[in-house]
Amino acid sequence: MKKYLYIFKSEIMSNLQYAFDIFVGFIGYAVHIFIFLNLWEYIYSDPNELINGYSMSQMIWYVIVTEILWSALNGRKFNRRISEDVRTGNISYNINKPYNYVEYMLSSHLGITSFRFLLVTILGMVLGYIFLGSFPEISLLGIICVLISCLLATLISIFLIIGLGLFAFYIEDATPFYWLYSKMILLLGTIFPVEFFPTIIQPIIKYSPIFAVSIAPAKLFVDFSITTFLETLVIQLLYLLVCATIVHLFYKKGVKKLNVNGG
Amino acid sequence: MLMEVKNQIYAIYLSIKYAFQRELLNKFTFLSNIIFMIINNACFIIQWVILYSIKDEVGGYSFKQVLLLWGVASFTFGISRFFFKEAFNLTDTINNGKLDNYLVQPKSVLISSITSSIEVSAIGDMLYGIVMIIVFGFTLKNVLLFLLCGICGALIIVSISIIFSSLSFWFGKTEIISETVNSLMINFSVYPEGIFTGIIRVMFYTILPLGITTYLPVRIISDFKFIYLLYLIIGTIIFVLLAFFVFYRGLRKYSSTNLMNARV
Repeated sequence: MKKYLYIFKSEIMSNLQYAFDIFVGFIGYAVHIFIFLNLWEYIYSDPNELINGYSMSQMIWYVIVTEILWSALNGRKFNRRISEDVRTGNISYNINKPYNYVEYMLSSHLGITSFRFLLVTILGMVLGYIFLGSFPEISLLGIICVLISCLLATLISIFLIIGLGLFAFYIEDATPFYWLYSKMILLLGTIFPVEFFPTIIQPIIKYSPIFAVSIAPAKLFVDFSITTFLETLVIQLLYLLVCATIVHLFYKKGVKKLNVNGG
Repeated sequence: MLMEVKNQIYAIYLSIKYAFQRELLNKFTFLSNIIFMIINNACFIIQWVILYSIKDEVGGYSFKQVLLLWGVASFTFGISRFFFKEAFNLTDTINNGKLDNYLVQPKSVLISSITSSIEVSAIGDMLYGIVMIIVFGFTLKNVLLFLLCGICGALIIVSISIIFSSLSFWFGKTEIISETVNSLMINFSVYPEGIFTGIIRVMFYTILPLGITTYLPVRIISDFKFIYLLYLIIGTIIFVLLAFFVFYRGLRKYSSTNLMNARV
């Protein structure tokens, strides 16, 4: 455990050196928020109107939180890192080290994500306040619960992305699987709360990993209740357990197929 | 002059042909890249179905026009990434001295460097665009206008990337600028123009000309007026000439690096 904590800390320290570059990289995040602000302002002819139970302000805060989780994760780069490790045979340098590759990647990327999360949260909150003029009504306990939910969502996401990257053991380029995954998260978990989808597919989304990695923390932030938090906590912990187990097994099976030719 | 142009076109053809053959070596990856890109683009239809269930029009566009907007954006983007992929990596080419390879060739440095590889997934973008124009209205006029708009739009997108990447000749590491401009062009181009107001709309026809690459083609195809087509052609000529001008002015400042590269 100590070695993984060390990896986590060293990633944070290394990212501190590039804080400005990372911050500039969040221009894309700001643009997304700006686009959705314009879109929802257009859709809501009256800001106090409720659409599917959400006010305009709640919709924008919802998108701000889901986009914070997505931007902090930088999943595309992480997925490419894992796929490339497998594809190029770099993974062989990690196999003979005294750590587990999956846990090494988890602690390393958690370090990167934590630092990015801090920066993008500051940016998101500032943008939200500038555009909307107020924060959602939420207590200190609520904020702590949302942060716990964000941490669990990030852990589940990291496991899922490692799993998708490990498909490279079986096919040369695993990135298309990631595209599909990212689009599912974007469409079903980032842009709209679950209530916007047809009633028939709402339960499917609610019990899918998309709820655990994106919808749950954002919904808690815009409409907090301790009951919702406890329900969310159970779902997220279950998903974390299932994803961690599957990814470890998948890695164990896949690594047996590894064939590295000198170089 | 005519012979030079002919030779240059032949060189581009060969470069793309060999890059294509290289990519075809792994057929599964080749096909999966294309198919997943089509699915990737098609997923966004869900977003618009939901938005149109709330409101009848978004930003002055009907649902069919949004599909056309997506078709134009995908097709334009697809052409630019398939034929001119390296225009989007030009900052790296300049900063790492990779232009040396093209300077010694008796062909246009700019054209040779930006057409040296292809992006397979961009075929998926182009196919998706074609499907969208069929859904919008399959007539000979629409298809011809769509192809013309796609080519013009792609040339503008590539020109913008060249212009901003060429800043590296003067200021060194400027990839963050070119990457940001390229991503802004993509992000804004798939939302109806009418949802934006003020200074942003001005930007769409100047510094970020997605008004010319995407919004104008939607108008040309759905409500044809010759003047719109003329704007598009004039806009394309201006941006292409500007890209050549900026790149070749910058090239005078180019100095190689001591980085050893092998072109395989």
